[in-house]
Amino acid sequence: MAASRKSRAAGPPAPSTTLVLDNGANTIKAGFVTGDKTDGPRIIPNCLARDRHRKTYVGSELEKCRDFGEIALRRPVEKGFVVSWEAQKEIWDREFFDDKAPQRCDPSETRLVLTEQPNALPALQTHCDQMVFEEFGFASYFRGVGPAFNAYQDIQAIFHTPRTPDTPVDVPAEVILVIDSGYSHTTVTPMVQGRPLHQAIRRLDVGGRLMTNYLTRLLSVRHFDMRNETFIANEMRESVCYVSLDFKGDLEKTWKGTRGERRDDYLSGAGIARDYVLPDSHTTFHGVVRDYEPGVSARARKAAVSTEDILTLRNERFVVPELLFNPSDIGLRQPGLADLVMQSLSVLPIGLWPGLLANIVVVGGNAKLDNFIQRLQMELLERVPDECVVRVARPEDPIISTWVGAANFARHEHVERLAVTKQEYEEHGAGWVTRKFAAGLPVEP
Amino acid sequence: MNNFGVIEVASTATKNTPGWAYVPDTGPALSAALQPANRKRVARKQTTLSFSDLSAREETRIRKDLEALDRDSHKDANIAIPPRPGGSRVQNKHTPNVRKILQSQKTFANHLDDYQAMLALAESNPGAAAAMNAAVAKPSTPTTAASKSASPAPTAASAGGSKRSAAAAKRAAAKEKQEQEKEKKKARRTPKAEPEPEAEPQLQQQQSQDDQTDIEMPDAAAPTEPMPTSAPEPNPQPSTYPRESLILPAYAKPPPQTHPGDADPLLVSHVPPFPSDDELRALMTAPPLSYLEARAEWGDEEGRYPVRVFCAVCGYWGRVKCMKCGTRVCALECLEAHREECVSRYGL
Repeated sequence: MAASRKSRAAGPPAPSTTLVLDNGANTIKAGFVTGDKTDGPRIIPNCLARDRHRKTYVGSELEKCRDFGEIALRRPVEKGFVVSWEAQKEIWDREFFDDKAPQRCDPSETRLVLTEQPNALPALQTHCDQMVFEEFGFASYFRGVGPAFNAYQDIQAIFHTPRTPDTPVDVPAEVILVIDSGYSHTTVTPMVQGRPLHQAIRRLDVGGRLMTNYLTRLLSVRHFDMRNETFIANEMRESVCYVSLDFKGDLEKTWKGTRGERRDDYLSGAGIARDYVLPDSHTTFHGVVRDYEPGVSARARKAAVSTEDILTLRNERFVVPELLFNPSDIGLRQPGLADLVMQSLSVLPIGLWPGLLANIVVVGGNAKLDNFIQRLQMELLERVPDECVVRVARPEDPIISTWVGAANFARHEHVERLAVTKQEYEEHGAGWVTRKFAAGLPVEP
Repeated sequence: MNNFGVIEVASTATKNTPGWAYVPDTGPALSAALQPANRKRVARKQTTLSFSDLSAREETRIRKDLEALDRDSHKDANIAIPPRPGGSRVQNKHTPNVRKILQSQKTFANHLDDYQAMLALAESNPGAAAAMNAAVAKPSTPTTAASKSASPAPTAASAGGSKRSAAAAKRAAAKEKQEQEKEKKKARRTPKAEPEPEAEPQLQQQQSQDDQTDIEMPDAAAPTEPMPTSAPEPNPQPSTYPRESLILPAYAKPPPQTHPGDADPLLVSHVPPFPSDDELRALMTAPPLSYLEARAEWGDEEGRYPVRVFCAVCGYWGRVKCMKCGTRVCALECLEAHREECVSRYGL
């Protein structure tokens, strides 16, 4: 004890290496920051998987899997929060701490910057802190709200704001509203000077998982039973779904018509229909999207190339992401994304609205959906006062955006003020750590 | 009246088998006889006014559908941790905390129920709650940070151990109970949010007054020009914009060129007053909301519009209902497809 106190008084040097972890429900984004050097994140599936030959894959071993049919997944993260530490520890061990781990590091000489979803349950936060220090033994640690890290980026570059080259880059960004639409849920986080305005954070329980399950259900009703093929359905959703800018019109185009009638749009596909070739697990391992060939009936195609299983996707393509904007379509009584933003703004002073609305950044996997930002911008313009400029943008790669922000944060001087060392944890306990993380940076002036 | 410490828990169990009851047959017109006398049921009815065509059975179906959609996989996968290939990492001894965490089989729903039970306990019986766990003394500060500091044992231990039985009971608690709690919490939240930052109510009042008194604000020249990040800045009335604001410093560049139309009363735009530093600081340092409080709920707006319904077979608008089970379909063809498998099972 005495020794540790003495060493603390001397001020142990901050570890030079930082492991930046964005521990998502679907994938982990992980990479190291050493000094000024940042190596890009590795994207690791955050799951244990077992295929139908009873072989188990952990984390990145899933790349070796060749047969995703009937694969069963166990995810340590539920609703965005690490719940099953037994599974999470196994994945982290294999990725970071084992001798042959692909991203090996020694926790006792490493700082950990970990993201968490906003509004976590206190018990889960405590579990997380205890695991980090007592089990893995990181030298220094910071756990922060995931969307908030996005402020530590050159936000105006994302918007392509015209500016002179000598304009200083604000890091963290002054005013920004981050929409994080991930696998578990979608959150709206307004921020001022990199600090989240906690009273205004709102969550919509629609995320990738719900959409995949919905797609699975639709396909199971219309084509064949896909309920055990969650993994394939998830790939399918990522590759074919798009957000409709004219929902009514698109729905009209994909309707077959009344009894006996076959509308022209339906027969020709109207640019919406796509053929999805399912993987056969022998020669192909991932599905392929093809343009719909009108005029050839499904049966004829089947006869011609009998080895392929083809699904023709029509309104499934845009009905599924529509849940983000109209959750009530499946009876979920929550506001759509645009209303969610308005609800979040409604608790803030109106003076902040123009700044927030002009700097909306969408991150997370769902931001990759085609037309997502256009639709959001369109719906927001309908709801805000005329004078407000609404700008919605997504970073180049929305999936790793939070990680990039967190990596910048790891080099920023803020991290020194926020991180907690192992000695401090041992001295003050878990409660103190939780309080320190919850308080965040003091507001200076 | 603390009911001897017994907390009433409504049952959420839903039966797949039909129960039965004599119901007065009052014909198609919904008469008062059918109106439930139970206060809870009346309340439940009221919340669903917009779903005029939703019966209790359909409600149940929707709820089950949503639960199914929310699950991770169709079947519960129980995948054991595979043995390590090299067995390289030496298995060091876990600390008691870690062992407890690793062995915990709780799901997120369990943790959430625990948390709710803790809040409910704090609400109904503050004394006992404080004695049990100083952390939950105030439900209004959902971060149990303060509590944890007081109790040397980490909350995980207390939440897991002493409250497990309560949690188990709670786990079975009905959705309506949750709903009620949420509403209560919501009601609590609104008044709570204000007093925390001290000067805020007055400030906000002031601000709304300011809003009404029209502020002359010549528009920044070109409307196409992107806004400066902080505030729409250049204006001849610095009084509304605290240029001396330290948290969000004013736009440093010279304002854009004035336009002859700026003075035109028809073109004058209305810019809301900027929040003061105190107000901003209060917002920036406010504690996080709890998990349930942060969930967005329907406001008054959303409930007003009818919910869109879709064909259960092909996904087009659901224009007609199956007479047997009430499922929506688009037209005759889909109706026939639906009839082939239409089973009006009980409890479906």
